[in-house]
Amino acid sequence: MASSQTAAGHPSRAMGSALPGADDAALELGRVRDARVRRAPRVPSWVLKVVMALSGVVFALYVLVHMIGNLKVFTGADHFNEYAHWLRTVLQPFLPYEGLLWVVRVVLLVCLVAHVGAAGVLWSRGRASRGTHRHQGLGLRNFTARTMLVTGVVLLGFVVFHVLDLTTGTGGAASTSFRAATLDQAYAYENLIASFQRPVAAAFYLLAMIALFLHLAHGLWAAVSDLGATGRRLRAVGYAVAGVLALAVMLGNIIIPISVLTGLLS
Amino acid sequence: MRLVIEVWRQDTPQGPGRYETHTVDDATPEMSILELLDRLNDQLVENGLEPVAFESDCREGICGACGVTVDGNPHGPQRNTPSCHQRLAGYADGQRIRLEPLRSAAFPVIRDLVVDRSAMDRIIAAGGHVAIDAGTAPDANSLLVPHESAERALDMAACIGCGACVAACPNGAAHLFVGSKLTHLSLLPTGRQERGKRARAMLSEMEQDFGPCSLYGECARVCPAHIPLTAIAAVNKEGLRSFFRQKDD
Ligand code: HEM
Ligand code: FES
Repeated sequence: MASSQTAAGHPSRAMGSALPGADDAALELGRVRDARVRRAPRVPSWVLKVVMALSGVVFALYVLVHMIGNLKVFTGADHFNEYAHWLRTVLQPFLPYEGLLWVVRVVLLVCLVAHVGAAGVLWSRGRASRGTHRHQGLGLRNFTARTMLVTGVVLLGFVVFHVLDLTTGTGGAASTSFRAATLDQAYAYENLIASFQRPVAAAFYLLAMIALFLHLAHGLWAAVSDLGATGRRLRAVGYAVAGVLALAVMLGNIIIPISVLTGLLS
Repeated sequence: MRLVIEVWRQDTPQGPGRYETHTVDDATPEMSILELLDRLNDQLVENGLEPVAFESDCREGICGACGVTVDGNPHGPQRNTPSCHQRLAGYADGQRIRLEPLRSAAFPVIRDLVVDRSAMDRIIAAGGHVAIDAGTAPDANSLLVPHESAERALDMAACIGCGACVAACPNGAAHLFVGSKLTHLSLLPTGRQERGKRARAMLSEMEQDFGPCSLYGECARVCPAHIPLTAIAAVNKEGLRSFFRQKDD
């Protein structure tokens, strides 16, 4: 296999190689090619996974607090509306009207862009590194892991709908009786009841909460790993917290449209 | 026992590959996957055909040379068992068995079932070793290693570098492999001195061929050395540590 490099452009073919078409010089070293799948990326995948984990944990804390706030709906219309009004006026005069809400919105939006952007880059890198022969026949094993992109897209769709429905009250998504909050009153309770009295809206909400459970159950466990938890006890606690938090958020939220549809809330 | 073997044939790294179907009539339950291939190759040679290329060395689960995908499972259907130890006991007379190479874009096929795993060698060359002058062996008990660390380091050092974890991963990630090396070397006094430098070097090499980890957990199911999923977290842990510390150790 000597002088394989010199045979213009087709090193191996010239010498009647045992492996026609192969780079003999490389093969002597046990290698087919020196090319990498990609050039060293500017933002490594492990860093993107840390970004996903941090933004995901921010989302998880937000949906937990949001769910607890939602449950105030069972304390009565007045109390719930007062809570919604309080959210808009809290910390005044240090913050303007809706100041805290806007801080939260901006943080969430930044996290969303980072989270979805990283998800897309990681997805395409994973496909490139796997190559043309996909891993098949996984069955129900790691179902939640494999459906992260699907449940994530459902969540993205839900977030858009949810904002149009109950925040901006945009026609099409919101109920016809939607009333925006004013400087001295919120109508969150009436808006919520009117929205969930539409079976399609309630059903989409239900679907989104199931997607949220699946996404969070795997996502929080992945975050434990991505943030570098190697201790046995820490990992066990993380695994349990991921499951319990995901379940609590789903159940706490799902109970509301069910109560509306069964007439418990009206 | 008669087995119908669908085996991947590929003459050159450029491909294209194809499945070829052969029948082995005298397979036995205690045969390993590799012995089945030996038997098939005897038959092929007797008939004047080219034998199937595949890799093996020790055939006792310690070298990491073997590794074929059996019915979609890297190494074979039994969990945590190298191809050389996978027996045919689970197969029934007349059953089909599909043999293909370990699959990953980072492992180009050289020929038939032989793949080029030098992407893993490059990671080891980048930092999976001790590159300081370790001096002569220290006096006994002068360098104490806690029992727990020694045990853990030994567990992680069990990796034989076969590449099944990569082939099992839907993302083509090498986290189980890299994480086991990083953990093993960071736990011991000599290896620890280059802990940060090593993490940066190995991760940056890893990024060029392998995918991100989405915690499917498939790697730990196939690993013949029983490296636990914890090794995966070690990749990000060492990455974060070296990033914030910015030192060699
Ligand atoms: C809005 C659209 C969303 C999309 C498209 C999306 C997509 C994804 C994908 C694909 C992953 C897996 C990444 C990987 O393992 O390689 C992921 C992880 C995660 N997601 Fe989302 N997600 C979305 C929203 C959310 C929301 C609303 C939450 C929380 C309430 C959330 C929490 C998480 C967490 C905690 C992780 C784990 C991060 C990690 O892998 O370390 N995601 N997301
Ligand atoms: S041949 Fe050595 S591990 Fe299988």
